[in-house]
Amino acid sequence: MFDTPHAFSSHDLADRLIDLTILDLTVLRPSPDVQGTNMDGETVLLDLSTGRYYTLNQLGSVIWAHCTDGNTISDIHAVLCDRFDVAPERALDDLVTLVNQLIQEGLLQQERR
Amino acid sequence: MTSCVVNQPMTEYLFSLYGKSVRYVTTSSFLVSPVQELLKYFRRDSLDESASLTLWFHAVQSRADIPLVMSPSARRLSSGTGAELGDRAETGLPYEVIHDSGRLIADFFNTGVLVIDGVQGRADGYLIRPETMPASLIEYLFHLVLIELLRHRGLYTIHATALEKNGRGVLIPGNSGRGKTTSFISLLRSGYRYLSDDHPLLRDAGDHVDLLPFPIKINVTEDTIAFFPELRNAPDHLLHPGFPKRAFYAEELYSTAIGEHCRPSLVMFPHVVDAPHSHLEPLSKSRALELLLPQALLVYDQDVARREFQVLAKLVQQVDCYRLHFGRDILDLPKLITPLLEEMR
Repeated sequence: MFDTPHAFSSHDLADRLIDLTILDLTVLRPSPDVQGTNMDGETVLLDLSTGRYYTLNQLGSVIWAHCTDGNTISDIHAVLCDRFDVAPERALDDLVTLVNQLIQEGLLQQERR
Repeated sequence: MTSCVVNQPMTEYLFSLYGKSVRYVTTSSFLVSPVQELLKYFRRDSLDESASLTLWFHAVQSRADIPLVMSPSARRLSSGTGAELGDRAETGLPYEVIHDSGRLIADFFNTGVLVIDGVQGRADGYLIRPETMPASLIEYLFHLVLIELLRHRGLYTIHATALEKNGRGVLIPGNSGRGKTTSFISLLRSGYRYLSDDHPLLRDAGDHVDLLPFPIKINVTEDTIAFFPELRNAPDHLLHPGFPKRAFYAEELYSTAIGEHCRPSLVMFPHVVDAPHSHLEPLSKSRALELLLPQALLVYDQDVARREFQVLAKLVQQVDCYRLHFGRDILDLPKLITPLLEEMR
C-alpha cells in the first residue's frame, strides 16, 4: 500500500498513533508541508519539510483523498467498505495501519472532533 | 571584516535566458571564460531591462578572506560528497548547504562558498584561488548558483539529456553509467536536434510544460566514444581532450542544429542490459514521477519546491514514460524511438 524509497525514521511515535476507541471522533488532514499529486489512481507525496517522497497505491490514494473536509476515520472506513469488495474488519486494519504510518512519517495530522 | 575581495577591478557580462536577464560580475580574469563558455548561446551586448538576476564571483586567496557571517538561526539543510548534485567529476567535492535568513549558503570548504539569495535574485560566489581550478569546476559552481536563482524565477532544470524532433521533445534522465549519454548520441547522430547534455530547462506554460534548450558542450567517456565511429575518429580540435571525459559541440560533429523550445513528449529512463536488442517498457505515471524527482528536486525553499513539484507532475502527465532496456544495438536506437514519436503526431 505504501512505498517509500527512503527508510522510515526509527523514533518512537507510539503516543501519536490513532486511538481505536474514538474512530468516529478522529478527524484526519494532510500536513501543510505535504504536496501530493494523483497519477492514474496512485498518489505521489512530497514532504517539503524533509524532501522525502512517497507513493500510495490505489487503496492508499482513496484513503488520502478522503483525509479532507473533516472526514473522520469512521467516515473513511465507510467509503472503503462501499468502494472495495473487502471485509469491514480487513478494511479497518488496512486503514488504521496506513494512517498510523502516515502520521508517524509526519504526512498526516489527526485531531479530535 | 577586511577582505581582499573588495578592491579588485570588476568586469561585467550580460546574458538572457528565456526572458530572465542575467548580469555576471567578476573580479578575476580566471572566472570569465568558464562562464562565457557555459552561457555562450545566451550572451547579450546589452539588456532591455535591468537584470533580474545578478551573480558576483569573487576570487579570494584563502578561506579567511571570505566575508561570510552567519546568524545564530542558521541551519544545515544537507551535506555530502556532492554526488547528489550531479555526476561530473567536480561533484565529488564535499559540501554543506546551510539556510540562513533567507539565504542559501553552499559551503565547499577549501574550494569556496556560494551565497544565494533567491528572493532578491542575487548570488555571490567566493572561490579560493580560482587560478588553480579547472575550468569545469568553475563552470559547475556557477551553474549551481544559476539554476538555484532560476528556480525562483520559474525555470527549473532536470538532470537529463534532451533532444527535439519535429517539435517533440525527448528527455533521458538518469545518473552516469545508465546509458544516458550513449542513447542521447545515438539519437543525435540520426538527426534529432540538440537541446541539452544534462541541463535542459522546464517552464510551466499553463496547460503544459515547455522544454527549453540549454546547449553546452557534450561530455563523453572513452567508453561512449568507442561506440560511435565519428567520435572514435574525431580530431582533438573537435573532440577536446579532458579527463575523465572529453567534450565536443554537437553542431561541430553532427549535421544538427540547436533545437527549439518544444513540448516534451517522451521520457525514457535508460539502463544498460546485456541483450542484443533494446526494448521499451511502459512505466506508470506515478513510477515515472518517483524516478524523476531525484533527478530534479532538491528541497531548499518550500514554496519553490512546491511549484517545481507541480511542474514535474504536469510534465509526467503530458508525456509517455518508458524504461529503456538499452541493449547492444546502440546505433539502431532511432529505429525504436522515432516511430513512437511519429505515432504521437
